[in-house]
Amino acid sequence: MSQVNWRTINVDALDPDSALNFDMSTLTPAVTPVSASEVQGLAGQIRQLLRGGDHEGALRGALESVPYGADEKGKEIHLHTVIEILQSIRQSEMSPLLSRIYQSEGGSELLDVLMKYLYKGMSHTTPTGGAKQMAPQATGFSQIHPLRTGDGGGQAMSVFLSWHEKLVEIAGPGSIVRVMCDRRTV
Amino acid sequence: MAQPEIHHLFHRPIADHSFSSDRQTLAVARDNLIEIYGKSGQKFALQDELRGHDKTVTGVDIAPNSGRIVTCSQDRNAYVWEPSSSGWKPTLVLLRINRAATCVRWCPSESKFAVGSGARVIAVCYFEEENDWWVSKHLKKPIRSTITSVAWHPNSVLLAAGSTDGHARVFSSFIKGVDERPAPSVWGERLPFNTVCGEYLNSTAGWVHGCEFSPSGDALAFVSHDSSITVVYPTGPDMEPKAVLSVATQLLPFMGLIWTSENEIIAAGYDCAAYRLRGDEQGWQLAGSVESAGRPGMDSHREESALNMFKQMDLKGKVQDDTKLKTVHQNTITTIRSYAGSPERVRQFSTSGVDGRVVIWSV
Amino acid sequence: MARQSQSLRPYLQCVRASLTAALSLSNFASQASERHNVPEIEAKSSPELLLNPLCVARNDNEKMLIEPSVNSVRVSIKIKQADEIENILVHKFTRFLTQRAEAFFVLRRKAVKGYDISFLITNTHTEEMLKHKLVDFIIQFMEEVDKEISEMKLFLNARARFVAESFLTPFD
Repeated sequence: MSQVNWRTINVDALDPDSALNFDMSTLTPAVTPVSASEVQGLAGQIRQLLRGGDHEGALRGALESVPYGADEKGKEIHLHTVIEILQSIRQSEMSPLLSRIYQSEGGSELLDVLMKYLYKGMSHTTPTGGAKQMAPQATGFSQIHPLRTGDGGGQAMSVFLSWHEKLVEIAGPGSIVRVMCDRRTV
Repeated sequence: MAQPEIHHLFHRPIADHSFSSDRQTLAVARDNLIEIYGKSGQKFALQDELRGHDKTVTGVDIAPNSGRIVTCSQDRNAYVWEPSSSGWKPTLVLLRINRAATCVRWCPSESKFAVGSGARVIAVCYFEEENDWWVSKHLKKPIRSTITSVAWHPNSVLLAAGSTDGHARVFSSFIKGVDERPAPSVWGERLPFNTVCGEYLNSTAGWVHGCEFSPSGDALAFVSHDSSITVVYPTGPDMEPKAVLSVATQLLPFMGLIWTSENEIIAAGYDCAAYRLRGDEQGWQLAGSVESAGRPGMDSHREESALNMFKQMDLKGKVQDDTKLKTVHQNTITTIRSYAGSPERVRQFSTSGVDGRVVIWSV
Repeated sequence: MARQSQSLRPYLQCVRASLTAALSLSNFASQASERHNVPEIEAKSSPELLLNPLCVARNDNEKMLIEPSVNSVRVSIKIKQADEIENILVHKFTRFLTQRAEAFFVLRRKAVKGYDISFLITNTHTEEMLKHKLVDFIIQFMEEVDKEISEMKLFLNARARFVAESFLTPFD
């Protein structure tokens, strides 16, 4: 006798034509694979800009070169880069910076990417609880310590939350809707 | 600008609505039945109910010339209702689909209608004289998910359909013996049944909620769940389109749209208001809400104490406590249709929504 | 403590904006089973009908997960629990509520794993109720639960002290 309990088999999963087996890759035709080392190289360039005090250029650069096609590790590296930039920008500079980006060519798309990173950032630090792991180790220069541990990631979250608030004012709920819809995840 | 004409019919969602060509009759889909309203004075009064569907009715369309009503429902059926001396007489349509029917539209020549469905097919239905029955042919090929909307080209052969697989497609629904051979257009020359004349996906690939051909039929616009509206200008068969213009708005998603002229689109949806977009092959832009800001009776803000205001801001993160929206519609607008004027220059349009209102607007 | 000094406001503002965007629902019949209309977020029978989940967090102990789909949204809340007593209180309190789930319309009987309490909002809810009022309800719920838990904790401590005192009196 068969060892498999056939009553619990999901027959829909075996039918290539069923709704369950929708090919999700048809929704993301334009995504090209990016290797983790390329993302790492990019992170170096962006840090260079950040070190030079060009916050807007760094943010813009990071959002323009979003690695949709990277694997988990590559995405992780880029997330750290974005978080580092976000934390180095002062609260009073957020709104003017965001509206400058929004008014520029293709700016609304960049802000959609930023919104994706805000939600990713909020979902990210929490489950591991390891705010410490988040600190980019190799940089060695960053004056602002990226994530203060000890308050359960509260400090990092409040950075995301204030960015989120400013971003919704400029990009509207439409940008949150696009975070949910877009199958190209960060 | 004239005030919008508001008809609050009931407190249930209106899935779809349709006016007769003389605008004296209004058919709305309410739960499992279709209600027919007749105009008396300034109001619409309930005249008749069409019963027959046993699940939520999803689409209703009145043919402008013949006056026939076609309806479809989540019970997988569609009926064609014809006026007779003893009331409306239904005829069941042989749809041959095994999932919900989601939308229905008569083609401009009124010899066919298209029914979108959750079975990943579009049933193109026509009348077969010898059997005295409405039969259907299925458009099936590249559809991968539920069809959410269908729209006809002015030539009655091309059909646009939006789907939850993120694509808006243009099909040929040419049926021998029913249709005349259409004149060649940007969409193609030879058009046998189920020719895919175009398949479009925007970068975010949200579910397509609504699609519509421009008055000339040479452009296609569709709205999707990523709050965007995309306009496609095709060049010719098997060629890259001249322009695919996508406007990502700051608003909540749109559910439907109409072209009021070649250069203006009005779209409405989850923001409960209709928005105007203007543009051409060079680019499209959001031009603002159709609702005029200073409607009487809406600008009287309730005075609130400073303490209460700050309390609201601190506790709930919002400024004012309100149970009434500032828009005319109090919930999502699900259908938007042209009401008066020619296709090239629509003067008035009507909207209906989840709040049970049908509203007639001036462009 | 740093946590208390942070205002609740940005967190709730973020929750409000995210929920408003997520609650764009439509009446959608099932593609998988004939003549059915089920919450797709629970059935999960067609992957293209589910959207990316959103996570809003104030810190590790207070967060919200929003799982949207075409006709339903699942909202899960993790309530702040600073110590074991709060842990027990939250457990008892959410149990009390979920047993009376019908009275709340949108409450889910079982919380999503990793969270304390879950709501399931479907298109019928957004059709019958005003959307922004539903959002208000969830936000108010989040505040009230926090308040309720701290009150219960105070009450529990007071009671414990009283019990201890009356036990200890004869041995004075």
